[in-house]
Amino acid sequence: MPGGVFCRIVEQTQAIQPFADPFANVQTLIERSQPKPRLPWFWYLLGTLLLLTMVAAYFGDSHPQAQIAIQVITSVLMFGLIGTMVLMSWHVAQQHRNEQQKLQAVEEMIQLRRWPQAAALLHELLGAPMRTQAGRIQALIFLGSVLARYHRFEDAIVVHNYLLEHVQLDPVTEHGLRLARTMAMLREDHLFDADREIAELRRTDRERESGWLALVEMYRDVKTGHPDEVIKIFQERLGRMRQQLGHRLGEAYALVARAYDLLGQEQPARDAYSRATLLCPPAELHRRYPETQPLAQKYPASPAPAGWLA
Amino acid sequence: MTAQAAIARARRDLTFSAWLKVLLLACAVIGVFVAPWVGLGSDGGVLVMVVVLGIWVALSIRSMRGSRLAAGSPSLIAAGQFEEAERQIETALRTFTIFRTVKLLSLHHLALLRHAQKRYHEAATLCRALLHQRLGAMSSINRQSRLILADALLEIGDLQGAYDAIAALYRQRLSLPEAMNLLQVELDYQARIGAWESMARNIATKVQMAELLPTPAAARAQAMLALAAQKTGQTDWAEFLRRRVELLMDVNQLTSARPILWDLWRQPAVQPPANSESAGQISRESPNT
Repeated sequence: MPGGVFCRIVEQTQAIQPFADPFANVQTLIERSQPKPRLPWFWYLLGTLLLLTMVAAYFGDSHPQAQIAIQVITSVLMFGLIGTMVLMSWHVAQQHRNEQQKLQAVEEMIQLRRWPQAAALLHELLGAPMRTQAGRIQALIFLGSVLARYHRFEDAIVVHNYLLEHVQLDPVTEHGLRLARTMAMLREDHLFDADREIAELRRTDRERESGWLALVEMYRDVKTGHPDEVIKIFQERLGRMRQQLGHRLGEAYALVARAYDLLGQEQPARDAYSRATLLCPPAELHRRYPETQPLAQKYPASPAPAGWLA
Repeated sequence: MTAQAAIARARRDLTFSAWLKVLLLACAVIGVFVAPWVGLGSDGGVLVMVVVLGIWVALSIRSMRGSRLAAGSPSLIAAGQFEEAERQIETALRTFTIFRTVKLLSLHHLALLRHAQKRYHEAATLCRALLHQRLGAMSSINRQSRLILADALLEIGDLQGAYDAIAALYRQRLSLPEAMNLLQVELDYQARIGAWESMARNIATKVQMAELLPTPAAARAQAMLALAAQKTGQTDWAEFLRRRVELLMDVNQLTSARPILWDLWRQPAVQPPANSESAGQISRESPNT
């Protein structure tokens, strides 16, 4: 297997690991991670270089007998200063690279569902001023995902609100963050806020036709007890969800299974639940959508081959 | 811009910028150490240094334009805006830059673009030219170019070349996205040479990795693994993965790109779904349509 990456894959069904909560105060992390203004070292050194030149010229004129010594000292100091500038630039670049590598590692850990490691690394990154604002924004976006994974939805909303209110984001990132915030609102039963946010997202989503928005809408309708609406959205937007959701299409099947179940239509509910569990492990589905838990008692999950972790 | 023209232009600029850097460094050294001894005095040395510094700053500022152009093209390629990407890459290649990385990055982006345009011969030529350069700290470019090269050679039908490119990647530490791409290329290669046993080895881990890919790539990788499972007699895996693929992607679309995958639906008991929608629709009559 290449580069030992496969060995880092962990079980999808892995229960949430007990870990010392590194996000005791999310607001503090947001504040602490603010990059410090950098000292203009380059200009200081350039100024010193010019000062040195002028001093050398002055002493050279006033002490002609020490001309050679002054020239040698000046040359050595100049090269020393230029060397310092190069070393400092290299050091700063190295620090930027380290931070970038840590962010990349967090992203990989999130993808591989290694949540405790991702949480610990994010705490380390955000616990002190970060090097760049772009890196900090990226880290805060990851923090929102990790908080949601640990069911800290109120804190996730705080992070999302901060990003949406204080940072100029590109439209795609903004859309993704707003969807994540809406999902967190639904999990915390902020149904009025979630509904308002969905209406706003639908207004801005006409061109994008987001499958993710369809999923959020389905979840809202499951939560508010509108199974007919869930089935309608599923049937109308299945194609889009199929293109965009990947294996998380299983979540849409789980929600529509719940909708059929609420309507007492057992056969389609059984069928949808089977498809949902074919794509996603049941434990993960029920963790994400606690409302689908009753399905596990009523319908069988899709059979998995021997050796499959799900 | 043809691949050959781009390569020639990049090579010429790389040589020119390397000589220019040597020249500027030589001037700086001469200015500081030699000028005072040939009667120019310390003021003369400082003047030479200031001129060299000025030229360097001016060239760096000019080179920034190329850096900006080079940075923008991957997102354009990802968005399918090939013409705009081509225009930006061409401008970046024609703009003089003192930074070696900008030229090499532009060449890499051109290879990426040609690969996305399915101009595989040109993509392979560009990748080979890039891999002949000393990439130093740009190791990610090295790995990505090898991945593009392996895939382009597979499309061309050069299996030996693809094998060499894949084998070279095994000696490097890959990031997760690179490992995911390698999985796709490797499965494609192994399916072509009929290495079903190797494909089916560690199948659970490979399926987990495939799940992280975007939908079409995830469906294709799992279809390849289903085929390998079928060929090696692991019918439970073959059935499991085949049903997943049907949910994820239109089977006709999938098999038109890789006809070998039709074997999955050629078995007497297995009928491919009629179209993409029917694969997703939930039957009210039968639980396992």
